[in-house]
Amino acid sequence: MNADRLYDRSPRFVIELITAGCLVAAPFVLPYLGAAPNTVNRILVWGLFGIGFDILFGYTGLLSFGQSALYGTGGMVAAYLLTRAGFPHVVTALVIGMVAAAAVGYLVGLVALRRTGIYFAMITVAIAEVFYFVEFNPLSEFTGGENGLPGVPTPRFDLGFVKLDFSTGWSLYPFLAFCYFLGIVVALRIVRSPFGAVLRAIRDNPLRAAAVGHNVHGYKLAAFVIAAAYAGLAGGLLGVMQAFMPPDAFMFETSGQLVMQTAIGGRGTLFGPLVGASVWLFLQDFLQGTLGLGASWKLVLGIVFVLLVAFLRQGIIGGIRDLVRWLRHRAAPVQEVAAEEAAPIVPADRHVAPLPAHAVSHGAGGEPILRASGLTKRYGGLLANADIDFAVMQGEIRGIIGPNGAGKSTFFKMLTCEVAPTSGTIVFEGSDITGRSVTDVCQLGLTKSYQVNQLFNRLTVRENVTIAALAELRGKFRLDMLRSLLNVKGLQEQVERTLALVGLTARRDVPVAQLAYGEKRRLEIALALASSPALLLLDEPLAGMSPRERVETVGLLKSIALGRTMIIIDHDMDSLFELAGRITVLQEGRVLVEGTPEEIKSDAKVQEAYLGGVNEDLAA
Amino acid sequence: MSNSKHSPTRRDFMRLGLGAAGGLAASGGFIPRVFAADQPPIGTFPAGVSGSSVFIGIAVPRTGTYAVQGEDELKGWQLAVEHLNSGHPLMKQISPKTKKGVLGKEVKYGVADSAAKPNDAVQAEQRFITENKAVLMTGSTSSAVAVALNKLAQREKVLYVTGISGSNDTTGKDCVRYGFRQNFYGQTAAAAIGPVIVKAYGKNKKVAYLTPDYTYGHTVTKSCQDYLATAGWTTVTNQVAPLGAPDYSSYLLNVANSGADVLINVNWGHDAVLSTQQAQRFGILDKMKLVIPYQIPFLAPEVGNNLTAGVYAATDFWWTLEDKFPLAKMFVDEFRKKFGYNPEWGANNAYMSFAMWADAVENAGTFYPPDVIKSFEAGRKLQSTVGEVYIRKEDHQCVRPVIIVQGKKQAEMKNKEDFWNVLEIVPGEGLMQKPDAFGCKLGDYT
Amino acid sequence: MINWANFISQVFNGLALGALLALISSGLTIIYGTLGVLNLAHGAMFMLGGYAGFVAYQATGSYIVAVAAGALSLLVLGIVMERVIIRHFYGRPHEDQLLVTFGLSICFVELVRFFFGSESRNVPPPGPLSGVVSLGFAIYPTYRVALMGIVAVALVVLFLVLYRTRLGMIVRAGIEDAVMVDSLGIDVYRVFMVVFGIGAMAAGFAGIVNAPVVSLTPEVGEAILVQTFVVVVIGGVGSFPGAVLGGLIAGEIISITSMINPGYAYVMLFAAMTLVLMLRPHGLLGTPGRE
Repeated sequence: MNADRLYDRSPRFVIELITAGCLVAAPFVLPYLGAAPNTVNRILVWGLFGIGFDILFGYTGLLSFGQSALYGTGGMVAAYLLTRAGFPHVVTALVIGMVAAAAVGYLVGLVALRRTGIYFAMITVAIAEVFYFVEFNPLSEFTGGENGLPGVPTPRFDLGFVKLDFSTGWSLYPFLAFCYFLGIVVALRIVRSPFGAVLRAIRDNPLRAAAVGHNVHGYKLAAFVIAAAYAGLAGGLLGVMQAFMPPDAFMFETSGQLVMQTAIGGRGTLFGPLVGASVWLFLQDFLQGTLGLGASWKLVLGIVFVLLVAFLRQGIIGGIRDLVRWLRHRAAPVQEVAAEEAAPIVPADRHVAPLPAHAVSHGAGGEPILRASGLTKRYGGLLANADIDFAVMQGEIRGIIGPNGAGKSTFFKMLTCEVAPTSGTIVFEGSDITGRSVTDVCQLGLTKSYQVNQLFNRLTVRENVTIAALAELRGKFRLDMLRSLLNVKGLQEQVERTLALVGLTARRDVPVAQLAYGEKRRLEIALALASSPALLLLDEPLAGMSPRERVETVGLLKSIALGRTMIIIDHDMDSLFELAGRITVLQEGRVLVEGTPEEIKSDAKVQEAYLGGVNEDLAA
Repeated sequence: MSNSKHSPTRRDFMRLGLGAAGGLAASGGFIPRVFAADQPPIGTFPAGVSGSSVFIGIAVPRTGTYAVQGEDELKGWQLAVEHLNSGHPLMKQISPKTKKGVLGKEVKYGVADSAAKPNDAVQAEQRFITENKAVLMTGSTSSAVAVALNKLAQREKVLYVTGISGSNDTTGKDCVRYGFRQNFYGQTAAAAIGPVIVKAYGKNKKVAYLTPDYTYGHTVTKSCQDYLATAGWTTVTNQVAPLGAPDYSSYLLNVANSGADVLINVNWGHDAVLSTQQAQRFGILDKMKLVIPYQIPFLAPEVGNNLTAGVYAATDFWWTLEDKFPLAKMFVDEFRKKFGYNPEWGANNAYMSFAMWADAVENAGTFYPPDVIKSFEAGRKLQSTVGEVYIRKEDHQCVRPVIIVQGKKQAEMKNKEDFWNVLEIVPGEGLMQKPDAFGCKLGDYT
Repeated sequence: MINWANFISQVFNGLALGALLALISSGLTIIYGTLGVLNLAHGAMFMLGGYAGFVAYQATGSYIVAVAAGALSLLVLGIVMERVIIRHFYGRPHEDQLLVTFGLSICFVELVRFFFGSESRNVPPPGPLSGVVSLGFAIYPTYRVALMGIVAVALVVLFLVLYRTRLGMIVRAGIEDAVMVDSLGIDVYRVFMVVFGIGAMAAGFAGIVNAPVVSLTPEVGEAILVQTFVVVVIGGVGSFPGAVLGGLIAGEIISITSMINPGYAYVMLFAAMTLVLMLRPHGLLGTPGRE
């Protein structure tokens, strides 16, 4: 299961079938390898626990050390229902435990997800510790304190014609294997869905994911809840498997073990936690029992873990996959396209019908599509933009130039609402968008291509555009986890059209890392274009390009300008004067002058701003 | 139910028959069990006894807060197994029917590190049961582990004798038919030490408690409070600290300012060592008398600085009992010979538990768990390292004396292990609660 | 009725706890601020400093040698660790850095357990500092009072290094903008190495001077690590004054809560952290916008 590929090329249900086959075969094969049934059951529970964690960490990029809190919550709720509360039905109790864990996960997520990256990890550590304490002490009435809840029954089904009694060892295995299988099937659907695609975008570049119109916080919270649900179910199963729900489920070490197992097995593979758990439990038994290492088995494990993190980025599964790929390459070498030979823009691409822009709710001629009034941005003592009045008519191509430090990028950031203005308003298509979020603004039809490439680096060209297009087609947040990515109506069409417009159709399955710089810039524009914006901002689209690339890109820009409004910042004035109908000049945060390219070229103030008044001296 | 796929063969019938006949001959008067049909497969029986050896699963903390006590316990079990297999005279004194091994079978064992975590202990014992067909489980220093293994024993139908376990619950509300406990616990500790400290310090004293925050701590503190209230002692503060707290300064400052006369420290393991050392550094031990109601093996040497001088404690065994009980002397001598130091009470508890199990099995004449259980419950009096003891059938708790000790001053110590003075040996009967007082409901035999 | 003597003694005790936390946290915060690496092995380093000092004490019987050993060995370990391992992770995502330091912390703890076992080890306070002193409102161990002084001196030294030396200036610049420092031609990797060493040394030093207060076990760093996180979040990442302020606040929270209900001290600490995160995410003295 390759997390990096959104479009699953393998035949349908291959993975599910192989999994089912392995699960069925296991009780017949594993005893010959010396595996005890209880160990296998334990591996399944850890594997299930890890599926949710992998979705959170491997697919969404959120490293949480707090999963034990949810594992324990689900387990305790289920165990409490089955023991103290005398609830009769095991499976229902497990489901209730899972739901309880998901609910708690939602609340915890609201707090924890306020921060990202390292802060998020630290908060989850704190949450794990707090939950352990609370479980141990104030709630010990319900959780049995340090004794845990003993006497959890195993499931029994009376189907009328047959009684199924799962007790322990191999007898419990089918029940656990079935739960695991269900968990994998659901997880596979989730990661193959549009929802799953957005998760991966968030992992790679949360900034851009938000900028192309996805409600990043909502998706993260959803992923967190999913991980909590899996954790809660696994916790319940732990109690059933041991006939006893231990308090150590809540310990920070449980979270730590989960993280390590997932990293060892391979993150972003869904099966990584299962592999990691097998390695861990096998090593624990082997090192302690056979080698008689006693307490130092953990040291060996720690060293193995560090080595794996250092050298095998995607754990064991990743390592195997890389090995297979390397062997295949040895067998049949493939000609790699040289990075310098970027695919030129084929003239035919220019005749592709332009993407329809958002229907403009405002009639042309009259109101400008965008008007900024009195826009000011102050950073402490530094005045980046001062009192800018700016208006663009629909269908215009406007250029913005100015010397370094003029505040051009800051101006753009305010327009896209990445940064809130200190004062002033922005009106887009008649509605006031001041202070809204970059996601909302994108959904309204205003996007930007960045000066420094903000791409989804682990995805291919086609996948990058897919992410942007998904926001357009599904809105900023949708919980379509069980839908297949291939079933999103209009997606393929939108993606193909966008790729054609920027001339990257031939390179669609190339990972971003292998693209030439010019191609990356084109992809950057494609991302802003894929949501069919009515107003497209381009921040230095020609930066760093060779002369040939510039000519091609100018042509590209001309073609995409059809049917939409564009504002372009650049330093290449020749190209800009060719493209734009009007130019605005910024200097030191203010609008210096505005006019046609001809007017600007000969304007004395502009020359003075750039050259410091040379002309005047010469004239004199 | 049983997870064994083994169905009885003729060989098994013969073995059982021989075993029964042998047991019959040895026990004389015991109801003969000739028919194998009376002993259907249950737990690891008869799979675990079909060979020439039987297996015992030991889950003991070798890392973590109780590691030191765990290692001591382990040695007790190891010595017991050695003595069983060789038919050592000490073992024969406790379990008279023992010849060599248990019912002629060699005893083997496996050890796993539980790190005092219930989950790890359960995991390890489950492996011992499925892979090694263990017929007996043991191991605990934390009562949480003991309770967890109690439940496991009842579910898997494999006998379990506790290691160290001080909570009232182990043979109280969490008791099981398949579990047995040898050592003393909160109730008996409080009832034994109570009169001693009242006599030493007088009535109507003010007490401060340092309680570890889990049920062992809470039950012991409560047992103490209940008894001492009858002598007019009042609790001025009860400082509840989490397990493994590194720094007791906040709690100790509260204690120091409480105006108490006596400090009762219920903390255990490393926590007891730390809290006592820090109490001394805060000058508390100069102002108040320290009492340790449930003594910790190796407390005195670990705490250092002769901090235990004059301190009253209740314990299960102390090596100077060798002067009072011949079996104690034999045990201490054998232990010291093998391991080079005098055994602590964890080791004694371990040794005695195994000896009592061997005795129960020999008297039952079979390893069939329900019969062994009934043999335990028969109320036979055994000679132990502290005199006569027996198992109470209502809650499977051993009725045995509690030893009251007082710490010796440095100058009085005759050798470097002579930390405690045995003051009293309080008979167990009068200390125990009524059998059903703690809510014990033993489960089924099968 | 508040027991005033108790209150004052708890406040005082809080300062003692807080000072120690401040020292450890400043090590963590300058490492994170400069390198962007959250050193999950920081608690283990605290523990290692204690054990290094213990070994030195066993060999020489001198407290001063023990402290020097604890600090210097961690300085060396920090430098080596940065050079050999951490350096290769700068380009990798944050999560990988977290994972590798997490793995290293486990290795350190288990290594110590392998060599020293699980029993607690004692480093006694030096002769003149053992015993108790009467502070009027309470009797207090002399060593703990001295410890406050020792830690205060260490913090002052750290402050002087950071704010009065060229190296310190480079380090602070690196905290602000490591890329810029690099572009200025300063060997930023050398700076990183030194910073990691200094941060580790702070933890190790704290570990050995704290050893006479709590005895040494392999697990002694675990609880400290979580408390350090809380301090860094409260004070603001990358801010040395923030670590000091955060440490003192945390110390006071722990001791004052324990006057009311000792068990909840830990929980109150996390509640405070959550509060700061909700209301002022960059911490009390941190710079806004830092991640």
